[in-house]
Amino acid sequence: MTFDEHLPDQRLLLDMEGELSPQDAKLVRDHLAGCWKCRARRQDLEHAISGFVRVYQQEFGAELPPAGPRALLKAQLAQLSSTSSYASWFSVPRALTAAALCGLLLFGLLLVRSITQPPKTPVVSIPDSRLTPGATLLVSRPAVCAQENIKNKAVPVALQRKVFEEYGIAGADPRAYEVDYLVTPALGGADDIHNLWPHSYSATVWNAQAKDALEDRLRQLVCDGNMDLAEAQREIASNWIAAYKKYFRTDNPLELQ
Amino acid sequence: MSSRLTVSTVLPGLRATPATDGNQLAEVVVTFFDQLRDPMLRYLSSFGLTPPDREEILQEVFLSLFQHLDRGKSQDNIRGWLFRVAHNLALKRRYGTRRDLEVQADSGAEDLAIDPAPNPEDQMVNDQMRQRLLAVVDALPEQDRRCLFLRAEGLRYREIAGILDMSLGSVSISLARSLARIARSAER
Repeated sequence: MTFDEHLPDQRLLLDMEGELSPQDAKLVRDHLAGCWKCRARRQDLEHAISGFVRVYQQEFGAELPPAGPRALLKAQLAQLSSTSSYASWFSVPRALTAAALCGLLLFGLLLVRSITQPPKTPVVSIPDSRLTPGATLLVSRPAVCAQENIKNKAVPVALQRKVFEEYGIAGADPRAYEVDYLVTPALGGADDIHNLWPHSYSATVWNAQAKDALEDRLRQLVCDGNMDLAEAQREIASNWIAAYKKYFRTDNPLELQ
Repeated sequence: MSSRLTVSTVLPGLRATPATDGNQLAEVVVTFFDQLRDPMLRYLSSFGLTPPDREEILQEVFLSLFQHLDRGKSQDNIRGWLFRVAHNLALKRRYGTRRDLEVQADSGAEDLAIDPAPNPEDQMVNDQMRQRLLAVVDALPEQDRRCLFLRAEGLRYREIAGILDMSLGSVSISLARSLARIARSAER
């Protein structure tokens, strides 16, 4: 194949894109070496690409919030994987028998432990609504959504101690709990004892990670304009576990990492 | 990003089969999600879908990927597969509120200036060029626009052909035609 005339746009583009065979690419290169007009045209096409890409990125450059959609996907995948081929293969009677035996064993162990050793660190997955009804600041949705650093700040040790006392676990090991905000500051929650509660680390199912995922999800809904800020605050303050189930459409929390 | 994004590139040594652990598959799917959510969201935005619709489709796409892998189906070029599913779902979902590539005369337009701090004259020139380009792209036939958007996300001609159900030659003609129009608009 030879190019006595100028190269058509399509061929120039295919060459630029690396879509030509080596032989055709060589023919194009040979032609370009001697033809300024085609070289200039090639540059026009490059400029058209760069101009388009810039505008495309500006027009459609959307970003997901960090954890909400990811957490939702993980929750839904967790449900799906429980019914996947592997899981259905595994869920034969022997698996049921093993699970029943494990359950009995666990029950026995717990029974013995409860008789011989009263728990020193009661598990708290959900706050006592009399002690921690939730407290919020008077902030607007735009102000909440404009916040860039949405990580909860550390609760002062003195305030943590007070929370422990209120919950009647002053003697418990403080390392077993995270003093957590009920309504996260990322949703306008206040630095107030009525908004703080001791969340057990040993609450392996409904743990702080699950709550963080819910906070991200609600914030995303609020900032996308799909939920009122007040409603999000109400949902998380009244029963965060129920809110999790509702907004992640799952009965089972997921392990985030 | 490699155009041959496969399960084994995400989790080396793994090839999903119907006997693969569901948790392992979920991990693979989440890794793909992490790598591809931004380009896919941008592509979904180009259909004029609202943010909640885009996110819902994204969830649906990746749940479908889980089922696809769980059934032991083809694991070659997962990226192309994901974009094809997203494209089809977006077409189904798209409704009257399509956000055309129109120049909005609202406050957001200022934020989209190409140069972060151009002088007023440069700003005006940039805006004019941008408006011309947007008008050209908006006037393109739907399929030509789709080819451009997918190519802008790094998909190769063969992948685009697969997603849009076109021949390889048609993709090439479409892109050359669109870029020629864009280049002409820049000359004016």
